[in-house]
Amino acid sequence: MAIISVDNLTHTYGAHSPFEKHAIRGVTLDIHKGELLGIIGHTGSGKSTFIQHLNGLLRPNEGRVLLDGVDIWENPKKIRSVRFRVGMVFQYPEHQLFEDTIYKDIAFGPTNMGLSEEEIDRRVRQAAAYVGLDESLLDKSPFDLSGGEKRRAAIAGVMAMEPEVLILDEPTAGLDPRGREQILSMIQDYRRTRGTTVLLVTHSMEDVARVADRVLVMSDGRVAMLDTVEAVFSRAQELEAIGLTVPAVTKTLMLLQRAGVTVDTAAYTVEQATAQILSLLGGDGI
Amino acid sequence: MMKDITLGQYFPGNSLLHRIDPRMKLVLTLCFIVLVFLPQNWWGLLTVGLFLLLVIGLSRLPLRLMWRSTKPVLFLVLFTSVLNVLYVHEGVTLWKWGFIHITTGGLQSAAFIAIRIVCLILGSSLLTYTTTPTALTDAIERLLSPLKVIKVNPHELAMMMTIALRFIPTLMEETDKIMSAQKARGADMESGGLVQRVKALIPILIPLFVSSFRRAYDLAMAMECRCYQGGVGRTRMKQLRTALRDWLALLVYLAVGVGIVMLNIYFGKTLK
Repeated sequence: MAIISVDNLTHTYGAHSPFEKHAIRGVTLDIHKGELLGIIGHTGSGKSTFIQHLNGLLRPNEGRVLLDGVDIWENPKKIRSVRFRVGMVFQYPEHQLFEDTIYKDIAFGPTNMGLSEEEIDRRVRQAAAYVGLDESLLDKSPFDLSGGEKRRAAIAGVMAMEPEVLILDEPTAGLDPRGREQILSMIQDYRRTRGTTVLLVTHSMEDVARVADRVLVMSDGRVAMLDTVEAVFSRAQELEAIGLTVPAVTKTLMLLQRAGVTVDTAAYTVEQATAQILSLLGGDGI
Repeated sequence: MMKDITLGQYFPGNSLLHRIDPRMKLVLTLCFIVLVFLPQNWWGLLTVGLFLLLVIGLSRLPLRLMWRSTKPVLFLVLFTSVLNVLYVHEGVTLWKWGFIHITTGGLQSAAFIAIRIVCLILGSSLLTYTTTPTALTDAIERLLSPLKVIKVNPHELAMMMTIALRFIPTLMEETDKIMSAQKARGADMESGGLVQRVKALIPILIPLFVSSFRRAYDLAMAMECRCYQGGVGRTRMKQLRTALRDWLALLVYLAVGVGIVMLNIYFGKTLK
């Protein structure tokens, strides 16, 4: 079942000037309820512009965005309620922190929703727990936290609105491997407990391979592919043609295949590949 | 969206106006401002107007740009015109009602001033439309170089200007991002009274300040790493050279100026 339907979405920046740029052209797709959709594409492929249409931050030049079957721009005055239902975490979300305590910052969204004090309190503490922030940090200033903690606090600020769809724009950018790992498993846990639909924009094929159900590949403002992870990664040559690569694991298997070894190149996680190689080596090779 | 605003209004092109040396363009713009204030009668103003139209034509800029630069000052134009209509009492009285006293002289001087302001704005916006901000600061640095005598360092002034200009689009983008991020969390910037609107700015201003300071530190560090030490011994990749056309342009402006002065003498002063 589609929670968000995008119908022939087109967006042009700076129309009728020398700086005119078609960011998105005729994108049509459905996002299923409860899925984790990975969105990849290199810089300038239109993915950031695309996701900003889903919660009404940008208004399409052409086309429609339907949330639960209703055009989100049907009543422009109600666009705020759409933003509470489709939560969006921007790139480097820690740059948006502004309150004097983490608690108040996480409470910013719920407060704007006009919730009661108790409900806000419940949501703030729950969101902090989802992202693994200790209660003792809630009274600290955002500027006293480490980079990774700041990022998690900012993500909690969106989670506290309890959106039906959560969009994250490169949530792991600029973090060390451990920070990435924490964020990714946190997103998976959150989705498992709440059943939220999640859209994850990323550059990293490895991240997509690990967590996504389906992958949307964008190129030059259009949908290049939209399919299951296996199906997308099996089209390695096309991916490379638009400047993307498959995960290192898949690549290794493909090289093995080219060298004459019979392996299934649809594998895209280290575990799957290890299993295959081990079985080739007789099961107890290493 | 803020992406629609372009830096320093520069509009790329290759017209005669674009190619004139930026230093000369700066001087010409100053000359033009003088030209606008020279005329004392309608003939002079007409000359300025026609001359401006000619220059706009030479710039090959789309006319809607001209409209864009005039729009913000329309209120000022209207305001001064109304003041002139109400307070200049000369010539034939057309209408009198209470304190409102409209005369032909008042209407004339209102129109005169309105045209003068519009010419002024259009003439000076031509400079920023046809010159890149970097060329402009470069020109300012060169034109201010005599100030070295009184221990003012024009290079530092120019560098500050360049950096400030350079960061306008960056900060715009940053503001845009922060606004989007806070809007995504339900920040409401479009409704409410004055107090509420000012309060709604806090979630944008604080992150913006923080990031400006971060950027300033980063930039200072990067400049130090490249051994920046002011203008001492620095050479330029792009040397400014005046060509014949630059001097001819100056000559044309001076000629127009002389023409207007002659019109002033010949037709006398129609307005006080």
